[in-house]
Amino acid sequence: MYSMPGNQDERLDALFRVYREACPAPEPSANFMPELWRRIEARQAFGFSFRRIANAFVTAALAFSLALGIYMAIPQSNSSYYAQSYIEALAAENTLDTPEIVEPVRLEIAPDSAR
Amino acid sequence: MLVDFELIKRAQAGDGAAFNEIVLAYRKRILGTITRLIARTEDVEDVAQDVFLRMYFSLDQLRTAEVFETWLYRLTVNAAYDYLRKQRRRQEFRMSDLSEQQVLLADAVAGGKVERDQQYQKRIRESVDSLLGAVSEADRILLMLKEVEGLSLKELEKIYEVNENALKVRLFRARQRVLKASEEMKRGREPAKAG
Repeated sequence: MYSMPGNQDERLDALFRVYREACPAPEPSANFMPELWRRIEARQAFGFSFRRIANAFVTAALAFSLALGIYMAIPQSNSSYYAQSYIEALAAENTLDTPEIVEPVRLEIAPDSAR
Repeated sequence: MLVDFELIKRAQAGDGAAFNEIVLAYRKRILGTITRLIARTEDVEDVAQDVFLRMYFSLDQLRTAEVFETWLYRLTVNAAYDYLRKQRRRQEFRMSDLSEQQVLLADAVAGGKVERDQQYQKRIRESVDSLLGAVSEADRILLMLKEVEGLSLKELEKIYEVNENALKVRLFRARQRVLKASEEMKRGREPAKAG
């Protein structure tokens, strides 16, 4: 191990100082800038395709919502079924000419049984 | 500052040529910092490109050109952290590298190919890398920025976004751990990883 002169802290400071000199910055390779731009463009392309997919999805969702809205807004052929209320529907089913429901109940008491 | 504010503003506005100029001005410095932070020479260029890639895509987040260098340091530290996190077996790699380096060194010495100052520099690198292997990645990076890169506490405050006192405490503890590791290495023991 590298031996450090002086007290502990001074030795450590000295070691860090010489370490900086012992670790000079490497020269960048000739490929540094082209490779950097390749990575930038690759990420941009990924971001672009992701955005395109997201846009397509949003457009499809909007189109579907619109189509569903239009479908719901168009009056259906059997809409008369829903044109009356529940009470009206009941009344229509049980008209006044059905006496068993509308007619009052008549109690006929036989004269003999009264005695 | 290695570049003027106007150039940074042009790059922020999407000027590719201005971005290129900034990279050319700072790449050597960033390569040097990363070399010392990650201690893996073969990956230095890849991490440096990652720093500039982050810079390209987040340049619009830089509020003022005045803080550009501090901001670039923060990107560098973050990229180094991410790299070191990916290297889960970092310690094993380093140990295998060390032995490989030692073998190469021994071969070179035997063949008389390596000059004395290169051997000396290699010995220093190995010593510091071994000592810093005793502290956490976070402490290693903090010590490097303060002691080797020579950043001031004010600059570190901006990079780490913590107050000066907290940084002083962290630095003090990290130094203590390194000194303890140094003592242990002198006694011939493998230093225990801490912090």
